[in-house]
Amino acid sequence: MTVTRFALWYALRPWLLRLGVLAAALGLWQGLSAAGVIRSDEFPSMTQTASALWDQAKTATLWTAIGQTLQGWAIGLAIGAAAALVIGTLIALNSFAYNSVIGVIEFFKAIPVIAILPIGLVLWGATLTMKFALVAFAVFWPLAIQVCYGVRSVDPVVRDTASVLRLRGPRKFALVIMPSAAPFIATGLRVAVAVALIVDIIAELIGGGSGVGERILLAENAGPSVYPIMYAYIVVAGVLGVLLAGAFTLAERYVLRWHESQRSAAGERLKTYPERTEVTLAVSLSAGCWPGAHPGVAVRGAFGRVVGVVGRLEIAVLPAA
Amino acid sequence: MWSAGSKSLYFPPLESIVKALWTQWVTGPARAEFASSLEHLAVGYAIAAALGIGFGAALWSLRYAREATSPYLYFLYVLPAPVLVPAALTLFGIGFTMKVVLIAFAAMWPTLLNTLDGMRGVDAVKLDTSKVLGLPRWRNLLQVVLPAAGPQIVAGLRNSLQVAIILMVVSEWEASTDGIGYYIVNAQQSFDYVGMWSGIIVLAIIGIVANLLFVVAENRALHWYYGARAVEGVSR
Repeated sequence: MTVTRFALWYALRPWLLRLGVLAAALGLWQGLSAAGVIRSDEFPSMTQTASALWDQAKTATLWTAIGQTLQGWAIGLAIGAAAALVIGTLIALNSFAYNSVIGVIEFFKAIPVIAILPIGLVLWGATLTMKFALVAFAVFWPLAIQVCYGVRSVDPVVRDTASVLRLRGPRKFALVIMPSAAPFIATGLRVAVAVALIVDIIAELIGGGSGVGERILLAENAGPSVYPIMYAYIVVAGVLGVLLAGAFTLAERYVLRWHESQRSAAGERLKTYPERTEVTLAVSLSAGCWPGAHPGVAVRGAFGRVVGVVGRLEIAVLPAA
Repeated sequence: MWSAGSKSLYFPPLESIVKALWTQWVTGPARAEFASSLEHLAVGYAIAAALGIGFGAALWSLRYAREATSPYLYFLYVLPAPVLVPAALTLFGIGFTMKVVLIAFAAMWPTLLNTLDGMRGVDAVKLDTSKVLGLPRWRNLLQVVLPAAGPQIVAGLRNSLQVAIILMVVSEWEASTDGIGYYIVNAQQSFDYVGMWSGIIVLAIIGIVANLLFVVAENRALHWYYGARAVEGVSR
């Protein structure tokens, strides 16, 4: 096998495996339903669910529901994130403010958002306002903490340079603080994207706001005959989560492409198989406390790992990690 | 925010909420709801933590399984778990099993993915060293891999705890005859806003106390790690 073909195989193999797992899982689901292990009135078969999903995709109901869910998600996330960014930065820039407020933020962060849901319900009812207010509340606290950490992590040398150059106000914010804090904020936002969707769907599923969660609730209440629709919407919720998280990862990769963490990650992605050779020399100080403990050498090479043990001439070839 | 003489229907005066806290949750009938909620949470979370670390470690050592399942693990991780409540309800009915299964299933993923990530991030030199020194497999796992992945596993466990609390309330709220979630929804639907607020405060207290306990446990379990970091001059 040539090196190119090896590299191609190395890159394709995971995807072939993944397709195989998907096919096996769907087949198992269908098989268990067909064999009667899963009762069809409790859990519909894979084909029933898939056809329900297809039927829904042809109607406006599914797309309206997705739109409504995305609306609550986007507005809430935008409000919560903007507030966290501004307030977090302001708090972090002042040590006194930071020390006096951070405990309060930690306190609110620990409150499960589900506890706030009833308050939102009595204040606004099952409305869009209720949905995005809850999402904004849930997103704000953890993200504000993350912003504080990011802003406070500015390299002292960079900060001193900025003061020497007399950078102030918005310019200092845009040129010094934001670039340093960006990776922290990105991490916080990645979590916020997922949390916002979960909270939004909880608000629909329990609070009755319109969207995918409400559809699941309606299908459940309508009884076993529409369970395929319920599972179709559950699948939709999961796919929505994957798509939003995936879109965020791509956006992060693009926006932060200049940052060290993304550059090294890009390098890792390009490298389809290990190319460096590493040698580890290990000497145990407590030799003899378990069988086979002697000084040795490990060589980590391109296509495999060779571990040799000095003094015993034992060589094992292991697959690359 | 609250004045003692608040006349608002939705924001009852604080003193009557505190009174309700005492009469309902400390000395009164809601104690049973409190206990059953905590029971669901504790059992579900313990199962989630064990499964998460166990499966994470298993996937770490089985490379093909890891490659084959990674997108699906991620799908389950971002799947908003509350949507599974109706499904769990049809499969397990109303009861203890349904709630525990739901909490365990939903809270498992953050721990699992963090365990996997943490173990994959273990320095290759350490692994080679333990291989060269002929460390037995279980010893390698316990003495090399687990400590190195510890901080990240703990981060996963903390996320799992928050998910578990949310699922505890959601499952009780949606489909239950007991628990704090049931108490709150009941109070809300019967326009007992004082009762509802007292339930909310109890939930907030549970969240905060659970978080505090977790931090204490984390500091005890990982004191070697923070100690080492402090020596290196890295603040956490």
